[in-house]
Amino acid sequence: MTRKMFNTIYSIIVTIPFLLLIFPMFELANRATPIVMGLPFSFFYIILVILLTFLAIIILHQFDPDRTSEEGGE
Amino acid sequence: MEHWLIALCIMVGYLVVALVIGIWAGKGQDSSSLDEFAVAGGKLGLIVMWFLMGGAVFSAFSFLGAPGWAYEKGAPAYYIIIYTAFAILPWYIIGPKISKIGKKFNLYTLSSFLRIRYRSKGLGIIVGLLALLASIQYLATQLTGMAHIFNIMTEGRIPFWLGALLAYGIVVIYVATGGLRAAAWSDVFQGLLMIVISWVVGLAIVNQLHDSVGVMFTTIATETPEFLQIGKEGSAMGTIPFTTTILVSVIGFLMWPHLFTKSYATGPRVIKKTVLVYPIFSLFLVPLLLVGFAAKGIVDANLIESADQILPFLITTVMNLPGWVYGLVGAGALAAAMSSADAITHNATLEVTDGVVRMIFKDLSDRTVLTIMRVGVFVIGGLAYIITIFGGQGLIVLLLGAYGAIVQFAPGVYSALYWRRATAAGVISGLVVGAILNFYFQLVAESTPFGMHAGIIGLIANVIIMIVVSLLTKSAQNEEEEVYLRS
Repeated sequence: MTRKMFNTIYSIIVTIPFLLLIFPMFELANRATPIVMGLPFSFFYIILVILLTFLAIIILHQFDPDRTSEEGGE
Repeated sequence: MEHWLIALCIMVGYLVVALVIGIWAGKGQDSSSLDEFAVAGGKLGLIVMWFLMGGAVFSAFSFLGAPGWAYEKGAPAYYIIIYTAFAILPWYIIGPKISKIGKKFNLYTLSSFLRIRYRSKGLGIIVGLLALLASIQYLATQLTGMAHIFNIMTEGRIPFWLGALLAYGIVVIYVATGGLRAAAWSDVFQGLLMIVISWVVGLAIVNQLHDSVGVMFTTIATETPEFLQIGKEGSAMGTIPFTTTILVSVIGFLMWPHLFTKSYATGPRVIKKTVLVYPIFSLFLVPLLLVGFAAKGIVDANLIESADQILPFLITTVMNLPGWVYGLVGAGALAAAMSSADAITHNATLEVTDGVVRMIFKDLSDRTVLTIMRVGVFVIGGLAYIITIFGGQGLIVLLLGAYGAIVQFAPGVYSALYWRRATAAGVISGLVVGAILNFYFQLVAESTPFGMHAGIIGLIANVIIMIVVSLLTKSAQNEEEEVYLRS
C-alpha cells in the first residue's frame, strides 16, 4: 500500500465515527434512555464510538507503510 | 489536625515533588544547547510524549470546567470528550510531515514554520504575536484555577495572589532551567496523579451521593430527560451550537503552536504511536463529568458563584469529606493546571523569541537566543501572573480575541502542507479577516447566525478569502515549498 493511499483510507476511517458524533447523525443517539451500563444511551454511545475508533486506528496502524521503514526513528 | 491544614500539607508536598522532578529532568543535559532547551534535542520517547500531549488536554478546565458543564448544562458536556478523542487524530498524518520539515529547516515554532513556507516575515510576526496573546489568556485561566483551588481547599486561608504565585512560580522555575524536557517529565508525574485522583474521587462522590452511576442517571432520565439530550425543548444547548463548538475545538486543537514544538521534539514513529493511544485519554475525563451530573438536583445553583466551583464545593461543603481528600483533589487540580501551563509558557517564549525578537535583532548567536528564552520564561510568566491578579476588563477582551484567533491558523497551516497555490498575501488576509470576524461575533455581537460558533464563521470567511487572494497573487515557487509539499 502506498503512503498516499494509506492516508486516504485513514482519513475516511476516522471521519466516519466523527460524523456519527455530531449533528445531524448524532440525532440517532440523542436520547436519555435506555440506561446502558449505568449510562444514558447518548453517553454510552459516545464512549462506544470512541472505543471502536481506537480499535480501528490500532488495526489500521499495522498496515501503515511507514511503520517498518527506518526513517524517523525514536 | 484541621482539614484545611492537612490539605495544605498535601498540596505543598505535591508542589515540592513537582519541582524536584522538573529540575531533575533537566540534569545531565547540555544546558548550553538551544536545541535541547527548545525541542529536547528532538529525541523525546513515547511515554514522555504521551503525557506531554495528555497534559495539554487535562487542564484546569477539565478539572473544574468539565464538572461545571455537566452540572449546569448536562448532555452538552459530552462535547469535551468528543473533541478530546478526535482532535488529535489528524496529527497522525500531519505530525510526521511537520516533524520532518522542522528537522530539515531546524525549526522551533509555528511562526517560523509559516514564515519559511510563505517567505513572509510579516506573517511570522503576526503569528508570533497572536500566539503570545493567546497563550497569556490560556495561562491566566490556568492561574485562576490554581489560585481558586488553593483558596477553596484551605477554606480561604491562602489568598488568591499567593496560591497562584506558589504553583506557577514552580512551573516557571523548572521550565526556565530545564526547557521542554523538564515540562515533559513533570507532565508524566502530573498526568498519572490527576488520572488516578479523578477516577478515585469521581466514583467515590457518585457512589456516596447516589448509590451508583446507574441509579443517578435513572433518576435524571425520569425527572428531566431533556437534561440528557441536546437541542430538545428545555435542553441547555442546540444542535448547531453543539456541533460547531466541537468542530472549532477539533480544528483549533492542532493549531496551538505548542503542538508544532512537540512535533519537532520527536520523530514520526513516536508521533503516530502517541496518536494511537490518545482516544483513551479522553475517556479519563468521564469521571469528572459524572461528578457534575452527581451534583445535579443536590446542589442549589445559587449557593455557588459559578458552575466551575462545583467539584470543590461538593468536597468541602456538601459532603464533608476528610481533609486528605481535599488535599488530593487540590493536588490533582493543581497538576492539571500546571501540566498545561508549563508547555504553554515554554512555547510562548519560543514563539516570541523566534518569531518576533529574532526578526527585529538579526544575527543573534544561539547562546544569546537561549539566554533570551530563559529570561523570557520569567517575563512571560510574570506578565501572565500580573494579568491574572490585576487584569482589567479591556485587556481580558483583547486576550480572548487572540485566543479565538488560534483556530484561524488552520487554513494557512494546511495549505502550507497541501496546496501549492497558497500565497503569503492570501494567508495573511484570510487570517486577519477570520480573526476580526471571530472577535466581532464572539465579543461584540449579541448573537451569531443560527447560533453557530464564532470561530466557524471566521473560518468560512478565512478559507474563502485565502483561496481568492491566493489565486489573484503570484506564488513564490521557492524550493522550500517543494519540501513542505513532499515531506
